[in-house]
Amino acid sequence: MKYFAGIDVGSTAIKVAVVDEEGKLAGVHVAPSGSLFHKNSLEALNNLLGKLSLQREDVRYLIATGYGRKLFKEADDSISEITANAIGAFEAGKAHGGVRTIINIGGQDSKAIQIDNNGHVVNFAMNDKCAAGTGRFLDVAARNLDLDLEDLGDCHFQGSGAPLTINSTCTVFAESEIIGLLAKGHGKAEIIAGIHYSIASRTVRLAKRVGIEDRVYFDGGPALNKGLVAALQDELGRELVVPEHPQTTTAFGAAMLARSEFMDEQSLEKV
Amino acid sequence: MENDAKVIPIQAAPYNLSRQAGEAENMLDHIVDDFPDNPQSMAYFYDLFRRVYCHGDEVKHEGMLVGTTCIQAPEELIYAFGATPMRLCNGSYHYDQKGADFMPAKSCSLVKATLGMLNSETVIPKIGKPDLIVNPTTCDQKKKASVMIEGMGHSVYELEFPNVKESEASRVYWQRSVRQFAARLRELTGKKLTRKNLQAAMAKTSRAQAAFRKLHNFRRKSPSLILGKDAFLVTNAYFFDDIERWTDAVEKLNAELELRDEAGFKAVQSKAPRVLFTGSPPIFPNLKLPLLIEEAGGVVVTDETCSANRMLYDMTAVDEWLVNDMVDSLADKYLKPCTCPIFTRNDDRRRRLLDLVRDFNADGVVYQAFAGCQVYEMEYRSVADEFNKAGIPMLYIETDYSTDDKGQLSTRIEAFLESLKNRKKHRA
Repeated sequence: MKYFAGIDVGSTAIKVAVVDEEGKLAGVHVAPSGSLFHKNSLEALNNLLGKLSLQREDVRYLIATGYGRKLFKEADDSISEITANAIGAFEAGKAHGGVRTIINIGGQDSKAIQIDNNGHVVNFAMNDKCAAGTGRFLDVAARNLDLDLEDLGDCHFQGSGAPLTINSTCTVFAESEIIGLLAKGHGKAEIIAGIHYSIASRTVRLAKRVGIEDRVYFDGGPALNKGLVAALQDELGRELVVPEHPQTTTAFGAAMLARSEFMDEQSLEKV
Repeated sequence: MENDAKVIPIQAAPYNLSRQAGEAENMLDHIVDDFPDNPQSMAYFYDLFRRVYCHGDEVKHEGMLVGTTCIQAPEELIYAFGATPMRLCNGSYHYDQKGADFMPAKSCSLVKATLGMLNSETVIPKIGKPDLIVNPTTCDQKKKASVMIEGMGHSVYELEFPNVKESEASRVYWQRSVRQFAARLRELTGKKLTRKNLQAAMAKTSRAQAAFRKLHNFRRKSPSLILGKDAFLVTNAYFFDDIERWTDAVEKLNAELELRDEAGFKAVQSKAPRVLFTGSPPIFPNLKLPLLIEEAGGVVVTDETCSANRMLYDMTAVDEWLVNDMVDSLADKYLKPCTCPIFTRNDDRRRRLLDLVRDFNADGVVYQAFAGCQVYEMEYRSVADEFNKAGIPMLYIETDYSTDDKGQLSTRIEAFLESLKNRKKHRA
């Protein structure tokens, strides 16, 4: 059996996905990026191969994507995370009746991508050079509230009042706004819901720039946060398709691309 | 214990040590060393920028020096009075930061950098103090710059420019404005404007424009014979270089491109996406965006910007019996074909963009808007609608002279080029 891998070297986490000849997902792995990008990327790849009892030689084609894509020289090729995300969401979305819009929130950026019926990128938008409304924002907020990042989702639903308004879209200013709200005696749950709505409305504005068409696929680490999913659905007025592994859609896309690149090369050699 | 601390007078850093020079040097190394197969005749331009921007060599001129802050100042008039025009629009991030004191935080990098340069101890390019700076009243930021430039001790002439292009009233107003400018130049130089002088000046710029147009037409070839980064450098040199020497150098480049064409030379891979560049002008050393496009495997085949195509495309060839009529026709030439976004309507700009896409076989468009350049930011929507209707993909990028968004931008540009390639593949 031949295998194909995609590695998404992101700002916060390294994601690896392996698919087989049929394009079936064999496994995924997520590890923190840390400061040693290259070493951690190699380790993450080897970890997943170990879990799947595969040798490095079994992986016939490897494509890197994400911020560190150019630094990972072990890859056969690299591709921008926007194209990889589109391919991954298109393939994963087939099971949900097909997707046309992708919303991705990552560690330091957020994107909206519109794809056509064949999975090709038609249009995309990306946040400018600041971390407002990204995963990093949630990270900072959780720290301010003395909570684990994983708990934010559940907390969202525990409030007794309406979500509070967080006006600042800047991560740094929002931090002081959160502290101010806490000082005034507001409950954590309402603050958290407010944060989720603030990210959601910002993200919807971004998505409107590319045009929203059904179905809408939501991925990236923050898609694990059920509270944020609920806020985003509310702001969009549409249901979202949230995959089983939202963090690894882009790595999966890169792996699927690796598979088709390999097939193309093979068919060329046969001619 | 006596402390022997001395007051150290603030001195301007020598040219080759200044941050401006470092910025220019990095950019030039990047342009020259990171791309294979640069045309040999580009050496003239590489060397020119190295001498002027990195080493601080003096830029010489004949007669009086008239600085211009915009391409709407008719340079033929300046030449006709025996003076030399020099375009002051600046592309340095270092000067942008220095000029930030004069303008609100979110304003155009180009205007801030020009102010920063004029207010600097070590002005690069080293042109000496202009005898007059002519500032056409185009966008708001440039309009407001006049007073500040005057405050720096310069003599400024505000060339009144209308903001409606279609009306007859504007046309007459602008003709009168250009005549007044001629009167100001007569006062400055003590010379008289004659039909002969003006004809000679037009012959000078026409020859330069003809050379540019030939270069421009070579860029229609697919695969490309020359990269956009080199073409931008060529037109940037026109800002300050001696016009005759510049024209000779462009003609040499054209001759080389002709040979390249005959030999079937390819400056890029045959599948490289072809890009039309529009919006806020790239000015050395801020060639960030064109370089990112070409590093990512695309090629800028043409542009619609005031640092290149818009500056040189429209040829001057007017002849009338009376010199005053010639000045009026010259004024028309500066108003009618202008596609600057400061006008109320942009039908001409949209039409021009569609023509360029068609003539240069462009696969997509990159639209640069400097943060704070409101007119380009506001025209984005109508231009996007036009391209959308025509089925031409466009990437809109808001940026400035700083390099801290390079990582983000490279991702966006790569994704855009990948999508252009994909479109081509599936259409074929």
